[in-house]
Amino acid sequence: MSASVGIVLVSHSAELAAGLRLLVEQIGSDSVPLATAGGTDDGRIGTSYDLVLDAIRSVDRGQGVVVLPDLGSSVLTARTVLEDHPRADVLIVDAPFVEGAVAAVVTAASGADLKAVADAAKEARHVHKL
Amino acid sequence: MSTSSDSTTTTSATTESTHETAVVLPANLHARPAGQLARAAAGFTSAIQLEYKDRTVNPTGVLAVMGLGATVGSTVTVRAEGHDAEEAVTALAQILATAE
Repeated sequence: MSASVGIVLVSHSAELAAGLRLLVEQIGSDSVPLATAGGTDDGRIGTSYDLVLDAIRSVDRGQGVVVLPDLGSSVLTARTVLEDHPRADVLIVDAPFVEGAVAAVVTAASGADLKAVADAAKEARHVHKL
Repeated sequence: MSTSSDSTTTTSATTESTHETAVVLPANLHARPAGQLARAAAGFTSAIQLEYKDRTVNPTGVLAVMGLGATVGSTVTVRAEGHDAEEAVTALAQILATAE
């Protein structure tokens, strides 16, 4: 099978990102390139430009990368990284963090392209959980 | 909304066909089997539906499958229409029937 779209989870909390990673690997697949950028460089709550940049590079298999921020400065940091390193095939996606990550990983695992993975994450906002 | 269940039918002179089967869930339809269903469903060209109570979802949407809230002992109907409808129904029904 060809390489999959990569997914990056950006969170203020390393533990939150790591926990979400475990969850999506169980529901979706552990074969999808997935990296977390959680917390600051020295492990505090916050976000790190360098961790986000490293995470994007680590999951890039040539099929594009979807970046999912949790909220607030995760969004700002991810946007700054992408502004400094603009690429048409790296997308920051506005989606609920948990649901968007699950939808993105499951969709990527089925071999979908970058747009389909990004759309799956975006559409997660509109799926009722009850 | 959706039609009630009927038996397997061949719909036209082409090789496209409609198949369906009903599965009584051996466990609640949790996140993990929902993920398995979504990945499996993406591998077929047929249009596939899961029907639970009065709701119908496309099983390629993992969140929609979880959102059904289908519980142990209830019946989920798998329906597919297309060239690989029979294989799709068989594969998804197998996942539903063996969900833990």
